[in-house]
Amino acid sequence: MQHRKTLAAVAVAATSAIALAGCAGGSTDGGDAKVTMWIYPVIADEAAHSSYWDGLIASYEKANPGVEVDYEIYPWANRDESLQTAIAAGKGPDLVYLIPDQLSSYASSIEPMDAYLPAEQADDILPNVRDSITIDGSLMGTPLLTSANALMCDRSAFEKAGITDYPKTWDDLMEMAPTFKQNDIYTTQYFGSPEVTLNMTFYPLLWQAGGSVFSDDGSEVAFDGPEGVAALTYLTELAQNDYLEPDLISTMPALEQTALATGQVACTWQSGPADVASYWGEDNIEILPPLTDEESVSYGTVGSLAMLKGAQDKEAAGAFAAYATDADNVKAFDLASNYFSPLASTGELYADDPIQSAIEDVIPTSRVGELYPGAREVMGVLAPEIQAALLGTKTPEQALKDAAAAAEPLLG
Amino acid sequence: MTDQAGTIPVPRAVEAAEPEALSGPPTRGRTSGEPPRRGGASVRRVLARREARIALLFVLPAFLLFLAFRFGPAIAGVGLSFFDYDISGTLDFEGLDNFVRLVQDPVFWRSLLVTVLFSLLAVPLTLAISIALALAVRRTFRGSRFFRSVFFLPVITSLVLAGAIFKWIFSTDGPWSQLMEPLGLGGSWLNSPVLVIPALVIVSVWSRFGYGMLIALAALQDVPRELEEAALMDGAGAWARFRFIVFPHLRPTLLFLAVIETTASFQVFDLIYVMTQGGPARGSYTLVYMLYDQGFKYFDYGYAAAIGVVLFIMTLAVALIQRRLIGGRK
Repeated sequence: MQHRKTLAAVAVAATSAIALAGCAGGSTDGGDAKVTMWIYPVIADEAAHSSYWDGLIASYEKANPGVEVDYEIYPWANRDESLQTAIAAGKGPDLVYLIPDQLSSYASSIEPMDAYLPAEQADDILPNVRDSITIDGSLMGTPLLTSANALMCDRSAFEKAGITDYPKTWDDLMEMAPTFKQNDIYTTQYFGSPEVTLNMTFYPLLWQAGGSVFSDDGSEVAFDGPEGVAALTYLTELAQNDYLEPDLISTMPALEQTALATGQVACTWQSGPADVASYWGEDNIEILPPLTDEESVSYGTVGSLAMLKGAQDKEAAGAFAAYATDADNVKAFDLASNYFSPLASTGELYADDPIQSAIEDVIPTSRVGELYPGAREVMGVLAPEIQAALLGTKTPEQALKDAAAAAEPLLG
Repeated sequence: MTDQAGTIPVPRAVEAAEPEALSGPPTRGRTSGEPPRRGGASVRRVLARREARIALLFVLPAFLLFLAFRFGPAIAGVGLSFFDYDISGTLDFEGLDNFVRLVQDPVFWRSLLVTVLFSLLAVPLTLAISIALALAVRRTFRGSRFFRSVFFLPVITSLVLAGAIFKWIFSTDGPWSQLMEPLGLGGSWLNSPVLVIPALVIVSVWSRFGYGMLIALAALQDVPRELEEAALMDGAGAWARFRFIVFPHLRPTLLFLAVIETTASFQVFDLIYVMTQGGPARGSYTLVYMLYDQGFKYFDYGYAAAIGVVLFIMTLAVALIQRRLIGGRK
């Protein structure tokens, strides 16, 4: 019987160990300050990205004995799920890279940065960047980079179609469309999947038509006004005349499986040079100001380091965030990642690079999207209606009207 | 053959786990006319209890893990459906508000319709193809093992990879579009709010029939060969042999597969996430996709939990109905 007792004891011990392991939490050494940071593959080359942060953190820790900074590079995919779960479990990082749309969603979990940024550093932030990361008068993050989606055209597609001028307005592009079609080239592309943010797809057209997603006070939607109808009618006309790659309206294939990669798209505002350079060749990339109907405007974003309210040592986390986003480090990071500076004092970063320089010119007029509460939910009801219009199952007016009706209770 | 003779056909641990063996009359399994041997039975009961305890100890780790990671979260989910939970940790009791909102939400009814439609098509098709192929590869013939392996391959194929390939197959210029062109059903099925469900059903059936086939194949091994041979000698055709001999033996397996497949199809998410993201125009927007959106996109955890509760009740109800219809008295 002895061996049975032993066996039973082992089983109990193993069970207890497993149960304890399942419940075990992280431990802290206590004493010295420790800062944790989550970042994403902003620098696409993983080794280069790690090397950047290793170097920066090493120099910071050397200058600040007793402070330890740990970082993790998470994949872009499902990043919200990971972050939400971690925050809900009380295991979130002290600092995390967020874009304005996320700053708005996570606002209740974010510690404003105002108290941790030196005044001169805060004053250095570009005005449109500052607006995009400010909620209720508080700076929700400290900016690391900006980007903008200018209009990008394929010179070889224009040559193939025998078109010598590049489009400036909606009408210009529509007039060129039949010629492109005759040459088996799509005039542009539209990623209609609800998983793609409307900030990059439909909203730039809405803004270019002079419209906006919300009313000025954010209490109701405004996308169903005449500007929205004009934008969706324009897009629908492109779709129904086969000027858009049809499969992208409902699915999101890998980029290499799209017409963009095979040189069959003339212009786009939904992808950037880094996406197409290996397919088009850098020499074929023509960067232009955003299209205009009533005004020329594009989507851009701001990447910030935000501090979570659960940060163990807020002073230490704030000090490191300020260091990582000061003018020198921002410049180094943005050059390494091919993004643009959110600070005035860094000046022009890409004067010698015609492609990057052209995009840099667009930065001051780009918009980061709609930061009202419920902005994501509104995208959730609007995107399927846009698909319905593009597939011809609803008129643009009806689609926007239905989307507005569905959005109304979301803004309650 | 009796247990007293030491030739019990069931392992003692299994017998011990049965309540009757622990507390029932000691005559169970006894040869007729043989007097009860109380002393032996008592010792056996004690042994049985000890073995039962050890068996329980072995089961305990899995049971605790089940409690911690399945049962616990499920109960928490039901509880959460009565609250408004903010990501910062604020919990406000809302009563039935989330359920009232759900009933008034047209997106919920749309996604419920899509889910039911998908299940009505996917479950019977998966079962039919699973059983048909199990019957086809049931007998050993040259290459039968090869076919069994090939049919099982989709089950172990990454759905993300398969989804990428099927997106191309169903694309505007893809082979499926070309194939369906003469029938007037050309063009991308994934671009059609009506045809997107049949397209997803095809992929779902492709990815799941191998599992059903394997289970059905195992069940078919238990069908007595001599019964079928006797029926054959009596002139019964293939359909009659299947209907009156094979099918009755397959009933419990069919019930199991029906419940598993219904649960899987009610919970379909990955396939849709990879292929259509709920589109076009909510044509493939299922309940679980709605739950995902509400929970992970909009951080509305209480509402997402309410959707989960409705899904659980639906799945349970359908499983009970299936048990009644397919399972018979068993």
